[in-house]
Amino acid sequence: MLRVENLHIGYGQIEILHGVSLDVKENEIVAVLGANGAGKSTLIKTLIGWLKPRSGEIYLNEEPIQQLPPWQRIAKGIGLVPETGRIFRDLSVEDNLRLGAYLQSEAIIKEQFQVVYELFPILAERRKQTAKTLSGGEQQMLAIGRAMMSNPRLLLVDEVSMGLMPILVKRVLQVIGELRNHQVSVLLVEQNAYEALKIVDRAYILENGHLVLQGTPQELQENPKVKAAYLGG
Amino acid sequence: MDFAQNLSNAIILGCTYLLMAAGLTMVYGVLKVLHIAHASVYTIGAFVGVLVYSWVGNFWLSLLIAMIFSGVFGILIYRFSYYYLLDVPRTVPLIASIGLFVMLTDLLQKPFLMGPYQRAFPAGGAGLPRIDTPWFSITSKQLLIFSVTIVLMVLVYLLLTRTRIGLGWQAASLDREMAAAVGINLNRIIALNFFIGSALAGAAGVLVGIYNNSVFATMGDLPSYKAFIIIVLGGMGSLPGAILASLLLAIVENFLVASIGYVLPRDSIAFLVLILMLMFRPHGLLGQE
Repeated sequence: MLRVENLHIGYGQIEILHGVSLDVKENEIVAVLGANGAGKSTLIKTLIGWLKPRSGEIYLNEEPIQQLPPWQRIAKGIGLVPETGRIFRDLSVEDNLRLGAYLQSEAIIKEQFQVVYELFPILAERRKQTAKTLSGGEQQMLAIGRAMMSNPRLLLVDEVSMGLMPILVKRVLQVIGELRNHQVSVLLVEQNAYEALKIVDRAYILENGHLVLQGTPQELQENPKVKAAYLGG
Repeated sequence: MDFAQNLSNAIILGCTYLLMAAGLTMVYGVLKVLHIAHASVYTIGAFVGVLVYSWVGNFWLSLLIAMIFSGVFGILIYRFSYYYLLDVPRTVPLIASIGLFVMLTDLLQKPFLMGPYQRAFPAGGAGLPRIDTPWFSITSKQLLIFSVTIVLMVLVYLLLTRTRIGLGWQAASLDREMAAAVGINLNRIIALNFFIGSALAGAAGVLVGIYNNSVFATMGDLPSYKAFIIIVLGGMGSLPGAILASLLLAIVENFLVASIGYVLPRDSIAFLVLILMLMFRPHGLLGQE
């Protein structure tokens, strides 16, 4: 589905990611775990096309996409849940969702409205409300719903747990785990390793711009280094 | 009677402000650029309008051609200047815009374009009637300005609120980067934005040219700053705010001049209002804090 090869990314003089290679297979949920400042968001921003990599390749279904502007990557089946959600605050919930399906036909929009309202019944209830009146958790759900509106094949999720209460972190990550049933692959970058490892098939550990480890949740949970650094002993 | 007449005159004046300010607000909303050269588009619109009118003698055709020409010209301004300045601090395109405005005004004054003369624009009221009521009168020119403004603004409103590309425009003016990440082709949205905004400025130029029966190369000087005051008053990037501020400014100007006379030059009143607004409500009438 997604294959990233030897990606170097930086701003100005500073290089953030020093040669990152990873892959996400069909219907797989993969996490990139790491502390604040490890370069997780930089990776997502490059995959969606907000940042240009210095070198390296990004393939979606074996087709190179690193030269495409963001909107063409969306057209090829990528969806984004950005850091802090970035919903369109002054628009209604329904308009936010409609924008998520900007490139889709009316028939698909209708279908996806049903899918999203089934995933998040609360959004159906609030569809006429202005997005900024939603609670933090609901806004995060709206961001996920908006990304799902385009019926993506690959969903990029940036720090979905940030700023949420622990109980909501659990709930939101659970929902992302359930996206398995919608034929979508997920690449999740996350600081909350403990909760993320519960829902993923595989995870990478990112430290100072290098991917230092990868494995199944079980392998990582048993790794003493990971235990000490990310799972609180 | 004076009151009603003053009010109706103010609303007509407000309509011309509105057409200018609406386009400027749209550009600011998406690009966060203070587009001074918008006033050049206004002058060019008036110039094209008067030229076409002198050939064909039909107001509606000259308005249409002037608007299309202005719209395309606006896209060209974007493509050859702001397009290269999207990712630099916002003061850079502002400076570029001032330079562009000065250059275009100078260029328009060359003898092979408009020269240093005023041209008459004798389209009158395009055949519209004059309206007389016991309280106020509206000349046929005023009726023309009023009806063209209303029709254009209703069309823009419908486009922005009832169509997919209008929704995309709203999203782009709230968060440009995120708009791209839901699949919006920003280049297309921005081009549309410049086309519509510039076509409105061209229409304003034509209407003011007809109203004053005069078109000249420096006619954009006044609107270049007044339209700015209006978008600051209305709240940067707020279209309803710009509409409200256009009408309010026109009303304040008309009534102050009518009640206390020309203590100040009429066009300085806008600055007084601006200073008061910045002191007491710096985010504008309908802007976000």
